[in-house]
Amino acid sequence: MKTWLSPAFVMLLTVLMGGELVVRVFYKADMQGRFEYGYNPTAGFVENADGSVNLIRAGGRRFWPQTFSKVRPPSVFRVMVIGDSVPRGSSLATAYPAQIGDKLRALGVKAESFNLAIGGNGAARSEIILRKALDYQPSLVILHVDNGDEFEDEREFKRAEAFKGWQPRNWLMKSFFIRRLYEVTTEQIFWKLVPAEVRVLNSVNDTANKALAGANPATRREWDARVQKYTAESVALARQHGVPILLLTESRLHDDGHGGFYLDDRGLDELVRPLLGDGVYFLSMKEILQHTNFAPLFTDGTHLHPAGHEIIADAVVEKLRQEGIVNVGH
Amino acid sequence: MSFVSWQYAFFLPLLALLYWQLPWRGRIFLLIAGSYFFYGMWDARFLALLLTTTVVDFFGALAIAGEKKSTAKVIGIGLLPFCWLIGCSTFYSAQPAVAKEIIFAAAVFPVAYGGLYQLLWRLPPEKQRRAFLILSLCSNLSVLGFFKYFNFFAGTLEVLLAKIGWHPGWTLLHIILPVGISFYTFQSISYAVDVYRGIARPSHDFFTFTAFVSFFPQLVAGPIERRNDLLVQLEKPAKFEVADLHDGLRLILIGCFKKIYVADNCALLANYAFDGKTQLNGQWALLGVLAFAFQIYGDFSGYTDIARGSARLLGIRLNRNFNFPYFAASPSDFWRRWHMTLSFWFRDYVYIPLGGNRHGALKTLRNLWITMLLAGLWHGASWTFVIWGAYYAALLTLYHVTPGLNRLSAPEKISRGWLVAGAALMFTLTLIGWAIFRSKDMTQLTGWFAAFGNWNVGAAADWTKPAGWWLLHIVPLLLLQLLTWKARDEAELSRFAWPVRGLIYTLLFLLVASSVAPDVEFIYFQF
Repeated sequence: MKTWLSPAFVMLLTVLMGGELVVRVFYKADMQGRFEYGYNPTAGFVENADGSVNLIRAGGRRFWPQTFSKVRPPSVFRVMVIGDSVPRGSSLATAYPAQIGDKLRALGVKAESFNLAIGGNGAARSEIILRKALDYQPSLVILHVDNGDEFEDEREFKRAEAFKGWQPRNWLMKSFFIRRLYEVTTEQIFWKLVPAEVRVLNSVNDTANKALAGANPATRREWDARVQKYTAESVALARQHGVPILLLTESRLHDDGHGGFYLDDRGLDELVRPLLGDGVYFLSMKEILQHTNFAPLFTDGTHLHPAGHEIIADAVVEKLRQEGIVNVGH
Repeated sequence: MSFVSWQYAFFLPLLALLYWQLPWRGRIFLLIAGSYFFYGMWDARFLALLLTTTVVDFFGALAIAGEKKSTAKVIGIGLLPFCWLIGCSTFYSAQPAVAKEIIFAAAVFPVAYGGLYQLLWRLPPEKQRRAFLILSLCSNLSVLGFFKYFNFFAGTLEVLLAKIGWHPGWTLLHIILPVGISFYTFQSISYAVDVYRGIARPSHDFFTFTAFVSFFPQLVAGPIERRNDLLVQLEKPAKFEVADLHDGLRLILIGCFKKIYVADNCALLANYAFDGKTQLNGQWALLGVLAFAFQIYGDFSGYTDIARGSARLLGIRLNRNFNFPYFAASPSDFWRRWHMTLSFWFRDYVYIPLGGNRHGALKTLRNLWITMLLAGLWHGASWTFVIWGAYYAALLTLYHVTPGLNRLSAPEKISRGWLVAGAALMFTLTLIGWAIFRSKDMTQLTGWFAAFGNWNVGAAADWTKPAGWWLLHIVPLLLLQLLTWKARDEAELSRFAWPVRGLIYTLLFLLVASSVAPDVEFIYFQF
């Protein structure tokens, strides 16, 4: 008599269960927290037994791989930059967070600078990263402020909440094994082989929905309110920990329709000014760049070439010097 | 409800479990309820149309066979679509309202149909059968014509009139195309014609016939079943066989692999190439059509496999629809392998009644052209589909009249070398056909052809890596075809030992589970 499940299907189920067991045992640290909103401390920040901390991933998106000591070495000036794809840059070495460290060291400051920026992170997810970053005694936090990632933040929040619920659509992805496989396929094959234009067209990145939402003035006002709320909370957190915080507002490049370009801060400068106070500093990308030949500094309307990052890094270092946050000679 | 949705993953096992617990009559009621629920998940209002087709062909076929039912019964059952629409208007307030004109038409339908039914019985007996067949055909085709082709013909007429200086200024109706209407209409037509020809008995049980017309696994995209294939199975209580369970699950897994892994991932590239805004170059034009060829094959044959697997879980066997079509050596061979149930439908109900190949070469070609133009139009109310049909008619003509090519139509009689060359040529011709099929309009089609004169500039995206993506998604399918070549059915793996089958299942499942592409609706639903 035949059994209800054929041996071949039993084999399939056995392999799936075996795979799940292997991933849960051997990749536990790597997998935990992947389903949480923003990040989970054990997923994005991995503390090692030797006292070091690795930055690996936050909420399915990777940090640039970096390592630092859990306890800040004495007399080291530790900078942590939190934000979206602009401070993240196209490489760790050329993005402005790393350049700030280089420039400070060149000026004789014993400094280390870490890039905790992740593409698509908005104000809420930046605050979550800040909460964890404050455990590692930064001497300064630079919060890169933008209001262009709130759609993703909100969507990720809804997804994370739905993921925790009963919705059967997510059941398969609750398997660590399947999830791991899916992420490998996405990151190692899909992103590498399918060009961004093709992904965008197929709305794999939800670009069409984002554009639609962003076209609604009421939605934009909601996004601004979210940015202000979460940035205010981040500022309050930093102040509670006695850590200086520099708010660096983003600016975008626009075509003026007459062959020229202009910079647009999209109201961010005004948005963060009320938050300034003791230990809270401010720099505007628009103000930094508008005195330069800024158009060639951009790779697109938002992101910067390494030369643009360098100008930002110079401005930050100058600000730190002016405010007396670091002591450097001329 | 889509086959590749979580809802279906619950719906099918629950229905199958319940199905095997019930006596035969209960199973029929369950199938009707399940099928109407399945269809109603898209738009419950259109179930009235399905009911109308059911009523017309149930009484029509009985009348063709000379069995008269009381007018009261005809009108009473004919009121079902009207009652359904009233129910929709009352209880489904979230849906768009049912137009008053439609409710009025549904109210008039039983009276008009009942009146005609009564009137036709007064005809001389020798004319009655034919008259009832015509009534059935007219009813089915007018429903199909109105919902699918009204705007197409009205729009075309408007353009033609404008060319002679007359602007009628009529506004086209906002008509939603009911999912699967072409499939269930053709299935119903074949039933009435088979009864007329005397090769099938009419069903005497309205409920079994309703289950036949609405059988959910093949309701929205086929296979288009005949009375003697599907209805006979529904009329007898099936016996549960564990082998059916195994076969059903295997078919569903392979169908999901074709749809989710092959088709949806190839669709990413095809959508980009045929977006209309992409500035095509030769590389992307070629890659786009190659991607679409495997998208449409994976999509439709995947759907068919899931349909066959779902039916098998209920102890019912549906017909195959595909037989490795991209290995066809000629256009006629292609149509014997692609969407087989539709090809056979057109052969049996259009081509042969027109005379087939029985009245000389010229009439054979005329019949081929009429059949292929109609087959093209069946796929959609657009001139590109008509051109696609004409393209295949031209190919069939070319192969028919050219002696060297003519030999390829009988693959069993030619050497392997010629067969491979013939298949390569036919695959190239098929790709051109898909470009016609996929293009939204003539401008896009001419743009696609023009792209082959431009290999150096154009499309913004690099094509080499996406070509790798395409290969990555078709190679597993080709390997599966290689493994199942002798059986000519990718789901036929029974000749392999269970560890090999287990390995294949595991690989297929993992490919499906890790597939990146977003959900894409089945292409053939729109037909």
